[in-house]
Amino acid sequence: MATIEQTQPLATVVPDSERSRPFGAWLGRGLMYGLIVLGAAVVLIPFFWMLATSFKPEAQLFVYPPQWLPDPPRPANYREAWGALPFGRFLFNTVFMTVLAMVAELFTASIVAYGFARYRFPLRNTLFVVLLSTMMLPGILTLIPKFVMWRELDRIDTFTPMTVAAWFVWGPSFVFLLRQFFLTIPREIEEAAVLDGANTFQIYWQIMLPLVKPALLAIGVLSFQANWNNFEGPLIYLSTMEKFPMVLGLQFFSETLSQEAPKMHYMMAMATLMATPILVLFFLAQRYFIEGLTVGGVKG
Amino acid sequence: MLSWYTLTLVDYVVVGTVMILSMIGLNWVLRRLGVHRETATGYSLILPWILGFLIWNLGPFAASLYLSFTEYNILQPPTFVGFDNYVEMFTDDRNFWPVLRFTLLFAVINVPLGLVGALLTATLLNQNVRGLGAWRTIYYLPAVLPAAATALLWRLMFTSNGIINFFLGPLLDLINQPRPSWFSDRDLVLPSYIIMGLWGVFGANTVILLAGLKGIPRDLYDAATVDGAGALNKYLNVTIPMLSPTLFYVLITGMIASLQTFTVAFFIDTPGRSGTFMNVFIYQEAFEHSKMGYASALGWVMLLILLLFTLLVFKSSPAWVHYEGEKTN
Repeated sequence: MATIEQTQPLATVVPDSERSRPFGAWLGRGLMYGLIVLGAAVVLIPFFWMLATSFKPEAQLFVYPPQWLPDPPRPANYREAWGALPFGRFLFNTVFMTVLAMVAELFTASIVAYGFARYRFPLRNTLFVVLLSTMMLPGILTLIPKFVMWRELDRIDTFTPMTVAAWFVWGPSFVFLLRQFFLTIPREIEEAAVLDGANTFQIYWQIMLPLVKPALLAIGVLSFQANWNNFEGPLIYLSTMEKFPMVLGLQFFSETLSQEAPKMHYMMAMATLMATPILVLFFLAQRYFIEGLTVGGVKG
Repeated sequence: MLSWYTLTLVDYVVVGTVMILSMIGLNWVLRRLGVHRETATGYSLILPWILGFLIWNLGPFAASLYLSFTEYNILQPPTFVGFDNYVEMFTDDRNFWPVLRFTLLFAVINVPLGLVGALLTATLLNQNVRGLGAWRTIYYLPAVLPAAATALLWRLMFTSNGIINFFLGPLLDLINQPRPSWFSDRDLVLPSYIIMGLWGVFGANTVILLAGLKGIPRDLYDAATVDGAGALNKYLNVTIPMLSPTLFYVLITGMIASLQTFTVAFFIDTPGRSGTFMNVFIYQEAFEHSKMGYASALGWVMLLILLLFTLLVFKSSPAWVHYEGEKTN
C-alpha cells in the first residue's frame, strides 16, 4: 500500500526555485497560464462553433477554410427550424415531464436519504450498500421487463413511464449525496426540535431540508439536466410525434434531414435552444452545483 | 390531446398519494406491532426506495434473467430455449464480437486517457491560479451540454471540411495526408468517438479531482519539504496517494458510464455497424427486431462485463488506493 511514510528523502536538497530564480518562476507561471488558456480554448471553441453555425446561411456551412462568423447572421434559422416540426409542443412536453419527475425525485430522494442518515434500524447498512450497488446495474438490462410492465399497465405511448416512476427514488446517487450532507448536520438541532414537540415530517421539512439547501440545489440541477435530456425513456415508450420531448424531436429532425442534405445550421439552432435552459441554470447555481457534485467523489 | 397530459397527471397524483399514505401506514402498523419508534420511522422513511428496489430493480432483474433463456417477441408469451441465446451470441451472431470489441476499446482507451488528462489539468489549476472559479466553470461546461447537442456538434466539427481538420491542416500538410472524414471513415470512428468523449468528460473530472487536491492537508507537504522531498517526489508520494480515493471514484464511474454509451450514437451516422455500442445493439435487437429474449441475454453479458471491470478496479485498489482513516501498519 502506497503511504506517505514511504517518502524517500532526496539526497540533494533543492532550493525553493520560486524565490531564488524569479525569471524561471515567471516563465513557469507564464507557461502555466498559457496551458490553462489553451485548455479553455479547446473547451470553448466548440461552443462558439455551435452558436456561429446556428446563425449561418446554408451556403456557408461546409466551406473550407471554415467561415468563422456568419455573414450576415441569419436569425431566421431559428424560426425556420422551430417551424419545421412542432417544436413548441416538444418544449411543452419536455417541461411537463421534467417538472413532474424532478419534484417526485427530489422529494423521495431527500426523505430516503434522511431516513438513512438519521434513523437506526436493523439492516440499515446492508440496505444502503444494496442501494449503492444498484448504481452499477446497467439500465439497459431492466429496460425490457420494465417495458413489458408498462405495456401490461397500458401506459405505452404516455408520459407516465418517464414521470410516475420517479416516486420510487430514481437516482441512488442523489440519495448518497444528500445522506452525506445530512450526516454533517449536528444532531442537537433535531433534538431541540423534538423537545419542542415537532414530528418527524416537520423536522425533515422545516429544519433539515433548509439546512441542506445547497445540496438540494445541486441535485435539483442534476435532476433537471437528467430529465430534460432523457432520451432513452422517450425513445422506447413514445411513438406519437406530438408527445416527443425536445431531444427526441431533435433526433427525429436529424434523421429526416439527413435523408437530404444535413441542414446543420437548423440542427445547431435547435441544439442551442435545447441546451440554453441547462446552461443558464448551471450558471445560476454553479457554486452549489460544483460543491454538491464533488462531495461524492471526495468524501466518498 | 389534453387527455394525454391529464392521464399522466392523474397517474402521478395517485401514485404519489399512495406512496405517502403507505409511508404513514407502515409507521402506524409497525408501531402497533410494538416495533421501536426509531426503527418504525426509519423503515417508513426509506419505504419509497424499498418499493422502488423491489418493483423497478429486483423484479425486472430477475425477469430479464429468465427472459434471457427464452425466445420472446412481446406479442406471444416467451418460450424457453435454454442457452440458445447465449450460444447464438458467441457463435452465430456476426455483429456481436465487433460490437463488443468496439464498446470495450472505447471504454478502455477513453477512461484512462480522460483520467490522466483531468489529473494534469487539475494539478495545473491547483497552482494558486488567479480567477480559479471562472476557469473551473469554463472547464465544466462540456459536461452541462446535453449529450444530443454534443453529438450533433462533433458530427459537424468532424466533417471533412470541419474545423477539426482546419486545425489539423498544417500537420496534415506536413505528413502529406488528405483531410480525414472521421465519423464517415470506418477506421476513424473509434478515434472520433474517443476525442469527442474526452472533450465531454475531462472537464467534469477535472473539477472533481481539483476538489480532491484542495482537500489534501497542507502540513503533509510541509512535512515532506522538511524531509527534503522535491516537487516531483512530493507529487508522487503525497499528492497521488492522498488523491487516490478520488481517482478511484472517477475511474469507476467513468468506466460504468463509458461502457453504457447510448444517446450520442443516435445522433451520429457511421458507416455500417462500425460505430455500434453494446447498449445500442441491445436496443436494436429488442425494439427494432423484437428479439426481447436475445436482447436480455446480451444485457446479461453486459452486466457481467461491468461487474468484471468493477471487480478488477476494486481488487486492484488496495495496491494503489490509500484511505486516510485506515491503519497502515
